[in-house]
Amino acid sequence: MMTISILKKALLASAMVLSTTAAFAEDITITVWAGGSNASDSYRMDAIEMAADILSKEQAILGKELNITVEKKRDFGGWSEFKQAVTLAAEAGTAPNIVVTSHLDIAPWSEAGYIVPVEDYLDLDAWPINNIYDNLLKIASFDGVQWGIPQDAESRPFFFWKETMSKIGYSDADIEALPAKVQAGEYTLANVLEDAKKAVDMGLVEKGYGFYPRASNGPDFAQFYLSFGGELQDPATGKLVLDKTAMQAMYQFFVDAVDAGITRKNHIGTDGSQWYADVANGKVAMWHGGTWHYGRYTGKEGNNDFFGTIQFSLIPAGNDAGKANTITHPLVYLITNQESDRAEEIAAQLINIASEPRINTLHAIKSSHLGITKQQANIELYSSNRWAAEATERLLPYASSQPNHLQYGAFSEALWKGLEASWTGVQTPADAIKEVEAELIAILGDELIIR
Amino acid sequence: MKNFNWLALGFLAPALIVITVFFLAPVILTGIFSFTSMSTSTGVTGGEYLLNQSGLRALADKGLNQVTLDQLNNAGYVVDEQGLAALAEKHGTATADEMRKLHDNGQFSARRDMERALKDLKANKIRSTKDRKAAAELFKHSLLNERFEAEANFRVALVEGDIPIEDHEIIVTQAYTGWVWTVDNVKLLFSLPSTLRYAGNTLIYVTLTLIFNIGFGLFLAITTFYLPAKSASTFRAIWFLPRILPPVMYVLLWKWLTWDTGFIATTLSWVGVAPKNWMLDTSTHAWVVVVLINGSFGASLGMILFSSAIKAIPSSILYSSEVDGANRWQQVRYIILPHLRWPILFVTSYQTLSLLTSFEHILLSTEGGPGRATEVWSLAAYHIALDNYGGNLQYGLGATFAVALVIIGIIASLFYLRFFNFNEMVAKPKIEG
Repeated sequence: MMTISILKKALLASAMVLSTTAAFAEDITITVWAGGSNASDSYRMDAIEMAADILSKEQAILGKELNITVEKKRDFGGWSEFKQAVTLAAEAGTAPNIVVTSHLDIAPWSEAGYIVPVEDYLDLDAWPINNIYDNLLKIASFDGVQWGIPQDAESRPFFFWKETMSKIGYSDADIEALPAKVQAGEYTLANVLEDAKKAVDMGLVEKGYGFYPRASNGPDFAQFYLSFGGELQDPATGKLVLDKTAMQAMYQFFVDAVDAGITRKNHIGTDGSQWYADVANGKVAMWHGGTWHYGRYTGKEGNNDFFGTIQFSLIPAGNDAGKANTITHPLVYLITNQESDRAEEIAAQLINIASEPRINTLHAIKSSHLGITKQQANIELYSSNRWAAEATERLLPYASSQPNHLQYGAFSEALWKGLEASWTGVQTPADAIKEVEAELIAILGDELIIR
Repeated sequence: MKNFNWLALGFLAPALIVITVFFLAPVILTGIFSFTSMSTSTGVTGGEYLLNQSGLRALADKGLNQVTLDQLNNAGYVVDEQGLAALAEKHGTATADEMRKLHDNGQFSARRDMERALKDLKANKIRSTKDRKAAAELFKHSLLNERFEAEANFRVALVEGDIPIEDHEIIVTQAYTGWVWTVDNVKLLFSLPSTLRYAGNTLIYVTLTLIFNIGFGLFLAITTFYLPAKSASTFRAIWFLPRILPPVMYVLLWKWLTWDTGFIATTLSWVGVAPKNWMLDTSTHAWVVVVLINGSFGASLGMILFSSAIKAIPSSILYSSEVDGANRWQQVRYIILPHLRWPILFVTSYQTLSLLTSFEHILLSTEGGPGRATEVWSLAAYHIALDNYGGNLQYGLGATFAVALVIIGIIASLFYLRFFNFNEMVAKPKIEG
């Protein structure tokens, strides 16, 4: 008798709960802003829309009506404009609910209180987060707190134009073996200088087109610092590290490339479209870029035989102190601090669902990025894609990342300023290092270790 | 107040509002910002109290003793009676008892581990992630990674965490996430090696562009004065083009002209000159282009003002000079130039001030390159305050750079007033005295 009455009460209570919630449909608008994105990156935002659909259906099964409207925006002038827009909106209390941005923003934005940790809302041991590569998850954390979820992965390979390589004396087998030789440290940046010079001297490429680096500041140049044995962050203390010997050797490498006539002295600032056109069709012997370049080369630039014309590897070691490496610079989903806790919670649920391997694969393949979860290897769309599969295998295991540190922005700017001054011949590498050192000591103080 | 003219105030009001909103307020705010540590990470509107691993590291550098540091670092999560009582209240005694059985006095350093411990519950599972996270918080002892809106709350938490009272001050100061008043920016300004470079660049830029501006403006005004009216207007219209073109278009044209695949390089390659980037090849190239871009843009202002000033010279003076046998050069030297003193003063001071603060053409053309060779002061201020790949924008330091520019501008204006003997020029004509 007792049990029945309890059962009755429980039924009655749940019926009431159901009827009230069903009567009050919940309408919520979630805005997503994605930085550095173009048309092929549309799934950065579309995935949230798909997730909203799934979440609404899940809630409907529980008898709750949840209507989510997703507003998407990716048209910002560039990274600086995007970051200004997000920070100013956050100050004004109108920040978008979800931002897709560089993991480097986590340190300053978390300190400023613009974002909230995803670990406040999500079970990190549950699907799909428990399937995300650990190193990527770590990149989306800061000071031991999981602030975001990696949105994609990439890595920054070194590229060779096969035809030029074979004309300077490499057999097909040699070219096939290059990635392994680079990884083993047998093919170094000294060989790059040598081979690029051959290509220029033999007239295979124009002067200044032997080695064609990125034309603006970015994470790529830190790779060359690592190649010469540099270290960005001291693992024991978490402080940033300026290894003067490695940094100077890195500057010297670019100066040598200019002196040898294989890199243009005024290469910095080269127009982006011109850059892509130059590298994608054999105007350049060697260069470095990103895994997502595959889409550009084979798409807009019209290279129909990527694997037949281009070889890729890690960034070669510079000397014995360093080793071949690559940097991955994943974008991350971050949840911004909102008045309403409910909006934060729903946003967190959405990025969680959007990280489902199948949904993330849509982005990975469409934009030529790499996957974030292990299970993507079992998804036909991903595993049947030669580029995704080979790049993941050849590069990701050796990928490191730039540190999430409050002052890393200042560090990276100073590194770049010094490189720019040396490269363009305004200062000698030695003088540039002196200035970088003085600048970093003044700005970073205790947070810098000089070696 | 009897003579107070409300009508005049009414007419002036729009101007006053514009000046206040678009000039005074930004200047005052920049002045205020320059004495703060404001950056992306401090935010603009204020701060809270947050202690994280980076904060602990900084505290160690500032000499906080190891015992307190360990205390802060190791507090973590503890399954103690207090927490269990709270758990019992929320999820029932059975849950609390099971938890006690599983993890009595258990210590966990991270929240994730605490949540895992809660997942060990078998008979009394806490199924919802949200509830489990809330339950984990019941056992929290650590202050780390928790934001406190008010200082008082943070201090209470320090007391509850048994942190020695003498250490509170240094911890509270470190934990504050907002900006603070400081003169560090000024110190930094004087200690950064790049400051001197930017100052030197600005001096080169302003001087050379000014000479070009004024000289070329004068040249155009005087030469077109002696031309027939119709061709004079055509010439002036041509030289006015740079000013009426949108800056982005105008600079783009210069880029097309100077790029290594541009007009100059292509044309010269026909006579065997190896193509190069005529804008960015060396710092000299960059300076020449920067001065030409800004000079051609600025010369039109001088040209228009000087032309009208020349026209205002009574023609009788010029005729009589011709009767006296003066040649063109003598007319320019002894009649036109002395009459142009005022407009030259005006254009020089106006252009100095606008050149000091304008950087849009440099930003669009060389972006301060090659190797920061054309990075002028105002461009540096922009880069510091609003453009950083790593994301941490230094608003405070950028504002200090901008304020220094305001000070230099004021000094320059005072100098010009003195140099051109301003008082004498605005004195009443003696004939009316």
